[in-house]
Amino acid sequence: MNKFLGNRAAVAVFILPALLLYSVIVFWPLLQTLYRSLFQWDGLNPGTFLFLDNYKELFQDELFRTSVYNGLIFAVIIAVFQIGVGTLLAFGVADAYVKGRKWLRISFFIPVVLSVTVVCQLWMAVYNGEYGLLNRLFQAFGMSYRQDWLSDPDKAIYAIAMVNAWHFMGYHFALLFAAVKSIPEHFLEAARIDGASKWKAHWLITVPLLRETYRFCLVLAVTGGLSAFAQMFIMTGGGPGTSTYTLTYLMYRSAFRINEFGYGSASAVVLVIECLIVTLLINRLVARDRIVY
Amino acid sequence: MIRKTGAILLIALLAFTAAACGGSGSTNGSNASPSAGSASPSGSESSAAASPSASASAEKVKLRIYAQYADEDTKLPYDYAVAELKKEMPNVELELDIQAQDDGQKLKTYAATGNLPDIYQAGLDIINTFKQSGNIQQLDEYADKFGFKDAMQPSAMNTLVTDDGHIYAFPYAGNEMILLYYNKELFEKFGVKVPTTFDEWKTAVETFKKNGIIPLSMFAKEKWPDVALYDVFASRLDPAGITKLDKGQAKASDPAYKTAAEKLAELVKAGLLAKGATNMNYDQAAALFYEGKAAMFLNGQWEIEASTKALGDKVAWMFYPGMDAAGYESSKLVFSGGGGPGGYAVNPKSEHVELAAQVAAFMSRKYAEFKYTERGTPIVATKVDKPIVKQYPPMMQELAKVIPDMKSTAFAWGLSNPKFKAAIEDASQSLLAGTSAEQFVKEVDKAIGQ
Repeated sequence: MNKFLGNRAAVAVFILPALLLYSVIVFWPLLQTLYRSLFQWDGLNPGTFLFLDNYKELFQDELFRTSVYNGLIFAVIIAVFQIGVGTLLAFGVADAYVKGRKWLRISFFIPVVLSVTVVCQLWMAVYNGEYGLLNRLFQAFGMSYRQDWLSDPDKAIYAIAMVNAWHFMGYHFALLFAAVKSIPEHFLEAARIDGASKWKAHWLITVPLLRETYRFCLVLAVTGGLSAFAQMFIMTGGGPGTSTYTLTYLMYRSAFRINEFGYGSASAVVLVIECLIVTLLINRLVARDRIVY
Repeated sequence: MIRKTGAILLIALLAFTAAACGGSGSTNGSNASPSAGSASPSGSESSAAASPSASASAEKVKLRIYAQYADEDTKLPYDYAVAELKKEMPNVELELDIQAQDDGQKLKTYAATGNLPDIYQAGLDIINTFKQSGNIQQLDEYADKFGFKDAMQPSAMNTLVTDDGHIYAFPYAGNEMILLYYNKELFEKFGVKVPTTFDEWKTAVETFKKNGIIPLSMFAKEKWPDVALYDVFASRLDPAGITKLDKGQAKASDPAYKTAAEKLAELVKAGLLAKGATNMNYDQAAALFYEGKAAMFLNGQWEIEASTKALGDKVAWMFYPGMDAAGYESSKLVFSGGGGPGGYAVNPKSEHVELAAQVAAFMSRKYAEFKYTERGTPIVATKVDKPIVKQYPPMMQELAKVIPDMKSTAFAWGLSNPKFKAAIEDASQSLLAGTSAEQFVKEVDKAIGQ
């Protein structure tokens, strides 16, 4: 192994293609975004250098606050739902007493395979205020709680977050399920012999051993939530008004609707920084030690 | 360190994936009929080859054109114009690049990378941006030379000349307007008077609401109709409507504009719109009106044909209700909507600038001609001397009577200040979703102040 790593040419040959690709399609645009965020620029003509004025304006923009707030709501909802429900389902499907496990495993994963557009269209029909399934359900149960889900400025963001939460829950379920399966059987067996109930054994043994997977899932869910875009773009167009804006949507609006690419870049940079901080925090706080069986 | 770098990479990737999704999402709808696009130029190619007038001296020239080609209303006139061009200038071959509905992103990318087509369709936003970057040809000289200026309808000169007094595109669309359509049968059935004042409008809304009829159907997910509805109110109180706000000559907190927002908010509160209206697209909203579930419908005059087809003589349009009886009469002929500079523009870096200008001018006139004679609309930019083939529907005949004396404001897409445009679009949609008039005023004023 040492000898292999010592062969620098070989290392370079294996790493360079991926590194090059990454530099060209990720790092370079990222640096460009950072640079452009210091300009007032319409995307075509030479820009005017503003230094940090875009950022100053951004931090005073009410829309920016709405966007960050919505991103946080989104991230929290999908993290809690996807990881929480994913864990419960993973425990269930991993249990040898549950019937039809293979079938369940597949069906939990199916939504992940669907395209965002399909899922959004489906949920738009479910949420429809006039004839939507959800309101019909409430009606069927004799409840008067009928809502105009996507057209209510206060509720729309929650409704949209739930769509994403439902859509990608299966992904987290699959990750967690694989992790649960990789925990050596004898840990749980020992607990059972000591008289621990199923829930207690899971709570005290499985959950702590899943820490590393949780960390990964958290990073995915939270960064995915902060940079959410497709769902609001398709389902509400950021509306009603500006009530379902996120930072990515703000970027889109600034660059493509208002022609302020500099301002849009600034919000993109803030988004990257925000995600970076959250990721570092998660890495700092969750599962700091490597688990070795 | 590796872990940190890994995290950064991951995040960057996520952020960019999200951005990429957005881009593709916006172009999806527009390319609904890409296969049909290539059919017309290649089809006409063969006819040119067969044409005896194609003399050997006239060198064959291929021009790229970036134009709208999405539905019947854009395909048929374009095809007609291409066919006419074949007769007039057989040596010119057009290569069509279908316009994407992406707020001009594709065109701007073409410009940035030096790939701009010889002729392209430009609106005010593109004209303003390209003027600065030298990507649009000033056409003053050609407009005279090819007789385009003389062919213009006097009332539509605003679509030819921009604010700086120059010509950058050859327009074909005239000044279009927003109409308030209504279902006569429903109004009669529930004994509702066609409203002439805001108060009567409110009474009408309440009556329909009580009887389970949606008072006004709107596709408010698209934001321009939302702005148009606000403009309907605003233009009752100030004939310039939203254009004054656009140019910074008035503020939303001025009495007229504030009252307009308040009156609209009042109607929304009374139940003007359907549940989930701000999430409805055109098909959903139009279906409500066509099926008799909604009493009124708001759309441009281009809706006349579809509505007549669906509802026959049950449908009509009304003059917008006014503040009071006197206001109704005085502002009757002010319509929300309008036109602005736009049409076929020419790339100054084209190898054949003059020829491209000639073709652009020709195409615009033929496009307008087809719309006038075959598509039932008298609202075009240029004069047409050919007889009308397809009779105008009754609603259009009514409209044609008032067109000469009509004044108009602007559509949301014709606004010149992009920041104000985005703000009033968002704020109007919020207003229709039930937020207060104060909030509307605040948000719009913020954008005007800048």
